[in-house]
Amino acid sequence: MTELLKTSLHNEHVKLGAKMVPFGGWDMPVQYTSVKDEVLAVRQKVGVFDVSHMGEFFIEGVDAEKFADYLVTNDILSAPQGKAIYSPLCRENGTVVDDLIVYKLHPGRVLVCVNASNIDKDFEWMNSHHKGFDCVFTDKSGAFSLLALQGPEAFSTLKPLLKDLPDIEYYSVYETSFGNHPVIIARTGYTGEDGFEIFGSHIAIKEMWQMFMEKKVTPCGLAARDVLRLEVCYPLYGHELNDEINPFDAGLGWTVKLTKTNFIGKSALESKKAKYKTVKLTLDKGIPRENYPVLDGQGTVIGTVTSGTMSVITGKGIAFARIEIEKAPKDEVFNVDIRQKAYPAQLTKKPFVTGGHK
Amino acid sequence: MSTNIPANLKYTKEHEWALVEGDTVTVGITDFAQSALGDIVFLEVPDVGSELKSGNTFGVVESIKSVSDLYAPVTGEVIAKNSDLEGSPEKINSDAYGSWLIKVKVKNTAELNNLLTAQQYQEFCNTSH
Repeated sequence: MTELLKTSLHNEHVKLGAKMVPFGGWDMPVQYTSVKDEVLAVRQKVGVFDVSHMGEFFIEGVDAEKFADYLVTNDILSAPQGKAIYSPLCRENGTVVDDLIVYKLHPGRVLVCVNASNIDKDFEWMNSHHKGFDCVFTDKSGAFSLLALQGPEAFSTLKPLLKDLPDIEYYSVYETSFGNHPVIIARTGYTGEDGFEIFGSHIAIKEMWQMFMEKKVTPCGLAARDVLRLEVCYPLYGHELNDEINPFDAGLGWTVKLTKTNFIGKSALESKKAKYKTVKLTLDKGIPRENYPVLDGQGTVIGTVTSGTMSVITGKGIAFARIEIEKAPKDEVFNVDIRQKAYPAQLTKKPFVTGGHK
Repeated sequence: MSTNIPANLKYTKEHEWALVEGDTVTVGITDFAQSALGDIVFLEVPDVGSELKSGNTFGVVESIKSVSDLYAPVTGEVIAKNSDLEGSPEKINSDAYGSWLIKVKVKNTAELNNLLTAQQYQEFCNTSH
């Protein structure tokens, strides 16, 4: 077994008494005190996550935006400078290598933030298409730590620590400094609340984390993060997305811009029909969990739960499920098989919880 | 971790506690178990009349992020279940030893000797975690 990687804040987590678990090759805090309290802190006040395990790639040079636009399915070129754009990264056949965020820092400089467990796979894939673009493509994951400060009090908590922080739009990015350290501040996150992701050197981020602790910001672990993202219906790679399905199967058609001149996977995605449909389900009784079978009204297996939990906010069982389109019931009657018993599940159109982001 | 282990109870290696009164055993989960699970949000225990077999699963307890089986400490018949607790399973977090799950009428009282004493359970918790 290979040794687990540690973020620059590992000692801080241990000191706080966090329960540590392996995640994507890293030893990460899953919870500090209580998942419920951590979720509520983010929804009502402010919480902070160490997400330094995530990967940071930089694209620099005159073709930086063009290269990013060619790699991903969403439209990078048309977005204004300073914007953050969520997108799947696809193979030629349209299957999803990863989902990521592209940050247009300034002309000729793009930051791409990718999932921890996919860093090597993504870099290799992206780098293999680099030829012909006039830009430098580097994996700087090892040089960066990353915090996600999330919740309605995030702006007022962060602003005083920085040289300056204008009230930037949701899904945009701003470069400033924290003491002597340059930091990249993005108004993004994975919770549905207002909040920021802060990219900086290991030293800068450790200092900032300690200041957040002094200010009584609630440290939050991966468990709370997973509940928060599922409540607002954000997909997670390895669950709603994987190497075998395309963005349409995962309900991410809105991120595939077939009007773009060219991008990897375009021709496959033009002719591709979704094989699956990703649905949201709510259960009044029972808690759906990953891999539980989903049944129609007649008891036929039509799909599986890809992520499930008890919602802290609604107190109900909530799930994403991948359903085979051909088997999708016209009467919209769904059940989840929990320990060989069928529990009724309501098809839910809107996110389970509405986050407070701008 | 918590070391709240009342001396008057018996225990299992699966972190259940058992209050033995004659041939009736009241069953719950230990303070150690509730602390390891975190916020408990769902509980499923068998109805009165169900037959349990020592060491087999008889129900589940779920926290927000995990599902854990419950293991029968003894063989016997369920003669009562704490229905109130199914509606408010979070009580287990605040009072593990005051939150009983089921009462079982033991088939063979000799089996009770297999349960751990408080001291043995304490040692088990110290060495295995």
